[in-house]
Amino acid sequence: MLIPPVVPGTVGPCPVAPDALKGIVRQQTNPARWNGGGWDAYVAELRAAGVEVAESMATRGIFATDAGGTAYGMPHGVVVARSTAQVAALLKAAQAHRVPVTVRGGGLTTEGESVAYGGVLLDMTGMSRVLHVDADALTVRCEAGIYWHALAEELRRENLDYLSAPLNMTSSVGGTLGVGGIDVNSARLGCSADQAIALRVVTPTGDIVECSDSENAELFQRVILGYGQFGVITEVTLRVRPYTPLRMHYYYYSSLRTAIEDLQLLDRNDASDYSGILTIMDCAVNLLVAFDSDEREAAFKATWEQRLRGYGEFGFALCMAGHYALRPWQIGEALYLLRRKQAVFPEFRRPEFHRDGRMDDRSVVFSRAVWKHWGSRNMVIPDLATSADRFVEAVERGNAVCRKYFRHYTLYCVGIKLRADHAPHYEMSCVPPGAEGWAYGCEFEPMIEGEVYSRDHFQSFKNAIYDIGVDMGASYYRFGGMMKGYIRRVFGDALVDRHLAMKRQADPAMILNRDVIF
Amino acid sequence: MYATTHPRDYPACSGCSLCRLVCPMWRHRRDPRFSPEGIAKARQNGAGVTELADVLDACTLCGACDPVCPEDIALSDMIMDLRRELELPPDLAVLQVGYEQAAARATPAPAGALLLPGTALRADPPLLAQVAVLLGLRSAEDDGADLAVALEIGGDIELQRKRRFLAAIDGRSLVVGDGLLLRALRRWLPGARLQGLGEALGNLPAIRRRITSADFYVVEARAFHADHARLVAHYDALRKDRGCTMNLDLQRIAMPPRASAYPGLRMGPARDDLEQARWLLQGRRPARIVVEDAAERELLRRVTDVPVLHLAELAALNEELHHA
Repeated sequence: MLIPPVVPGTVGPCPVAPDALKGIVRQQTNPARWNGGGWDAYVAELRAAGVEVAESMATRGIFATDAGGTAYGMPHGVVVARSTAQVAALLKAAQAHRVPVTVRGGGLTTEGESVAYGGVLLDMTGMSRVLHVDADALTVRCEAGIYWHALAEELRRENLDYLSAPLNMTSSVGGTLGVGGIDVNSARLGCSADQAIALRVVTPTGDIVECSDSENAELFQRVILGYGQFGVITEVTLRVRPYTPLRMHYYYYSSLRTAIEDLQLLDRNDASDYSGILTIMDCAVNLLVAFDSDEREAAFKATWEQRLRGYGEFGFALCMAGHYALRPWQIGEALYLLRRKQAVFPEFRRPEFHRDGRMDDRSVVFSRAVWKHWGSRNMVIPDLATSADRFVEAVERGNAVCRKYFRHYTLYCVGIKLRADHAPHYEMSCVPPGAEGWAYGCEFEPMIEGEVYSRDHFQSFKNAIYDIGVDMGASYYRFGGMMKGYIRRVFGDALVDRHLAMKRQADPAMILNRDVIF
Repeated sequence: MYATTHPRDYPACSGCSLCRLVCPMWRHRRDPRFSPEGIAKARQNGAGVTELADVLDACTLCGACDPVCPEDIALSDMIMDLRRELELPPDLAVLQVGYEQAAARATPAPAGALLLPGTALRADPPLLAQVAVLLGLRSAEDDGADLAVALEIGGDIELQRKRRFLAAIDGRSLVVGDGLLLRALRRWLPGARLQGLGEALGNLPAIRRRITSADFYVVEARAFHADHARLVAHYDALRKDRGCTMNLDLQRIAMPPRASAYPGLRMGPARDDLEQARWLLQGRRPARIVVEDAAERELLRRVTDVPVLHLAELAALNEELHHA
């Protein structure tokens, strides 16, 4: 087979892209491994500049896969980020030698976006310090490789907290700003990326640029939610807020539709400070609602609680007991629910993380539970992001796909308040085109439970979910890496070509985070 | 969790990085190789012990990684086992031999409950005497210091020596000053009644009531993490009862004030230790610091102007006030 040479600055034909396999069942695979041409000269230049490049198998192996565990690749070498100047030198040399650079923060991608298929892997966690906390202005300046948890740790000493962050302690700030970042308070405060006030960015050609809404705004717009295509974030200024423990309430539903309608009711009316849906099964749906203050909680209780159609824990247990008493052939399902409840619920109520009925730190509680009870060697989490009015349909269709592919799975749904002034940030991102006010996202996560599934099975499942997105004109949080075959289908050629032209201009050798989007 | 087989070792590591969040070795270097995850992943990719020597030699064995691992991998054990394949640090091997010889000369342990003080407490005889009086315990001359050093440096433990030591203390209530030895004793003597020094002293009313909301209380990391599931409740109750702040992070893991390997075995704090201790106090404004480990008292005194007291010294303050 003759593979035509690829002109630098262009995207070559992909032999496994969906449109390249006419008549053949679609599958995505790892991108082709970079051939290593010019690597030695590149490393020599970096070492001459005092940059340590680790080439041992022991070091490269640390980065062989990401949290998804289905994409595997090895970089030729690893550089631990130490300073903005070092990152700039690395990118300048990479442009000159045409060496791919894969940037990694917490490595919590699931589609291989932070896996290097050759080239250099830049580990940003080497730049992970808090630089300055301004308690009066309620801002923090930090290096971008810092984990949100480490940031929270230092903010808490000043009785401060970040606004919103992924409920996963090992997400990095820089990585999150590049894709969005969803918390259970995003329906009120927006996605994590919207907290960023200013960034220091190294462009793909190695220039160091400060940017914000008012300074180099175009770069700011492209880097925020830009999936790492337009620069490496090295420093970040974020909004922060006074720390408050939160009071959590749980309501239980047997219907996804009803739970989502209630979630949206709360969000529309600003009735709670935190809201989200987490399911055990589609007949056991948990709506969580939480508050930063007694006043907000009292207002919710007075006005909104009685309008919710969910049950308390005891009421729902009775309801479920009645349901399964009439359907004894579903005893297996009932036992699974019971087992799951006994394993997971105590994790959310551990006394050391609560004081006077309030939860000290939601990300610790949720992240511990997620890793312990949902985490595994493979984490496959396709998602759909839609406007508010189409969300129920998207979740119900996605749920039907989950039922077809896996015995047990979890859905996690949350709203994201959109900022009208940040519309340019949202272009070609997880925020669906046409969403106004709020966007809604749902993650569909199969429970692996020690089973062995093939990559094809996972990929077919993801494709089936993503086909719904194409059909509905939705978007996805995870559209890069192995799912990038959907980018043109969901965003359309005009938008993608415009971004490709910007990418070519910004990154002439197309070296930065190759194969994530372009 | 993707499998439930035990014992869980490095192949089970899924690379979640949760251990990095609590690892002083990683925090100090910010290099993925210098973390339990880095070691496990390197092993998964065929790295041998020699390739990992620098990393293994840098671990503080604080044990913080063990309770946070969602795969229940015994990460400290993994590191200690690998250390056994390395060449011993010569100065510390000599130290182990010296302690062995001292143990051979030791008089038999007195009857009843015992205090095994460990090297840090033994280095301060007045404090040791005070602790023994407070706890109402006799101090064992052979406190297993050689075994503690061997565990730490990966040295050999002769079976006969271990049997002799365990036979002398089996069946008694023990308060153990060395966190690493305490951890080993929990396995070696599963039926024994064991307490760390911090827990034992903190349960004394004369001491507990002297802890105030203005104190920064430094939990000794090794003893705490060796029995984390139980002790997290103990310290949570202490924190709620006395209102003090602690060196427990948001995950309720103890952040040790030391970041260098072989803490307490070499003279004087290393630069890493001073930096770690400063970081621990950064953004905190306590009126006083209370420590469980005598060696950490000396370290913290070098980086702060506020009084740093051993837990046992709070009782002495009590007496002084009473006499006054």
